[in-house]
Amino acid sequence: MQKDDFKKINDYIWEIRKRGKMNVPARIYVSEKMLNEVLKDRSVEQLINTATLPGIVSYSMAMPDIHEGYGFPIGGVAAMDVEKGIISPGGVGYDINCGMKLLRSELSEKDILPYLEKLATEMQKEVPSGLGRGRQIKLSIDALNEILKGGAEKLVEQGYGEEEDIKNCESNGCIEQADASVVSEHAKNRGRDQAGTLGSGNHFLEIQKVDEIFNENTAQKFGLFKNQVLVMIHTGSRGLGHQIATDYIQLMMRAMSKYNVSLPDRELACVPFKSSEGQRYFKAMSAGANYAWANRQMIAHYIRKAWKEVLGEKIKLSAVYDVAHNIAKIEKYEVNGKEAEVVVHRKGATRAFVGQPVLIPGSMGTASYVLVGTEKGKESWYSTCHGAGRTMSRNAAARSLSGQEIINNLKAKGILVKCYSMRGIAEEAPQAYKNIDEVVDVVHQAGLSQKVARLVPLAVIKGE
Amino acid sequence: MPGTTERWLKKGLRKFMDKGYKILEHPADVRMRALGETKEKLFINAAKGMMEILQSKIQTPPSKYQRNIRVKSVDLNALLVDFLSEVLYLIQTNKEIYDKIKFEEFTDNELEARLFGNKIESFGEDIKGVTHHDLKIEQKNGLYEATILFDI
Repeated sequence: MQKDDFKKINDYIWEIRKRGKMNVPARIYVSEKMLNEVLKDRSVEQLINTATLPGIVSYSMAMPDIHEGYGFPIGGVAAMDVEKGIISPGGVGYDINCGMKLLRSELSEKDILPYLEKLATEMQKEVPSGLGRGRQIKLSIDALNEILKGGAEKLVEQGYGEEEDIKNCESNGCIEQADASVVSEHAKNRGRDQAGTLGSGNHFLEIQKVDEIFNENTAQKFGLFKNQVLVMIHTGSRGLGHQIATDYIQLMMRAMSKYNVSLPDRELACVPFKSSEGQRYFKAMSAGANYAWANRQMIAHYIRKAWKEVLGEKIKLSAVYDVAHNIAKIEKYEVNGKEAEVVVHRKGATRAFVGQPVLIPGSMGTASYVLVGTEKGKESWYSTCHGAGRTMSRNAAARSLSGQEIINNLKAKGILVKCYSMRGIAEEAPQAYKNIDEVVDVVHQAGLSQKVARLVPLAVIKGE
Repeated sequence: MPGTTERWLKKGLRKFMDKGYKILEHPADVRMRALGETKEKLFINAAKGMMEILQSKIQTPPSKYQRNIRVKSVDLNALLVDFLSEVLYLIQTNKEIYDKIKFEEFTDNELEARLFGNKIESFGEDIKGVTHHDLKIEQKNGLYEATILFDI
């Protein structure tokens, strides 16, 4: 694949025309400079494979943080016709409803600095990675089933948050089609002791400050001001979601021959959305998504507890928003002049409805962004980027700088790091990722969403 | 110095052959190549490699546990993914690591195995899933070989 294979639509959209088995053309939202980087891995080939899926509408699309995944590329967006199209677990990913939650305080950086170390230590204690250390709550299967059905709302009912948390959450923290009876025992067993845990890899908690405001009006609407202290949470559905993906990829692989689906990559395993297997996956994935919203809600609860321990009972952390970046949703759009329902697969892409806060995390120690969804976002099914996107393997990152060197570099920038594993830090080195500012500039310039605020970390807390 | 690279390569290959697996580079996830003189050995080496990725700490004193699994799949490639997924499930839910795997039955689409292992204190890494991405079990120079991508 070369640059010549693309047609330049404008400075930020590059298209591959329909050819071979593609049902629609493929489009990447990327600058010319970043396109050269994209061509270094197999993500474009994966985007073309996605365009061959039955029932795909308009384009197979990718955001500027595109990188090679399996099946769909990471950063991929594809909408399928609900009547004629498919649903694919590979278009969601193993970490169902991996996503972001942002909490805002009323404090400024100067108020918090004397307490930063203590806050980070307390947060690390209250929010375990779930890989062995820390609080071990084992939910009963009945309690777990209620979360799978009711999502974050169920936890708020039980005292793990406030009504405002639910209002400021994608789908109010619950997809109503969720059905716990189509989630396997295996998945439930993996999820029983992981609610309120962070996981490893790129998942993190950060204490951040608002570094720059780009849009005063919207920032005010979202409750944001310069130098304000915030807490960002990045995690998903943990082992429960991973097992749902594993179970349904296995099931679809067996079922595909029945529906005459042939694929260039087994990880694209899919079945018609309206088939019994498709419906079961959608209901199970929705249950996994509900678990993830509940997981982030429980984490928010324990962060509030940690803040109260350190700063007193009056301290308030309010939810700015909570949004998924690995999910499939049924949404209504105008397609060919008619209103139609489509299944939007967002795999490493964030929903960005008009006026909605969009949360984009940077890599460890770099900036994160709050954006706002726009009317123009309709062209990408109201989707935008989800982060920086890796460019370097974990091993290569760990070889290039030691965990201690990274901690020292971040400390020199005034950023505190809490992590039990030095290797975990080395693997997430900032130089292993694309530049978040460049990624966000593309979606801003392309108009898919608009910049509201740039956030920088004061303290990073990682799982392992 | 002539011959140095060759010696180095031979040493690397020997280490790979001894361990039966090698962790490879991947921009976002973890890839692993596994080898085996038989299909059964390939499966065992792939499971050993997967357990190395998890960087677990074994509890002391060690306590022996045994688990039984049965897996049925559409073909041999899927069987390897489904087998590793089942082992991963047992590892993560029981907080155990298995140092011995014995097959009671093994065909190209079905297997039954006994796993023997120890309880662990914690994991250093999480594996989200074993993917089917580009997986093709092949026979090369008398050895079975497969490259597996793990979602991390």
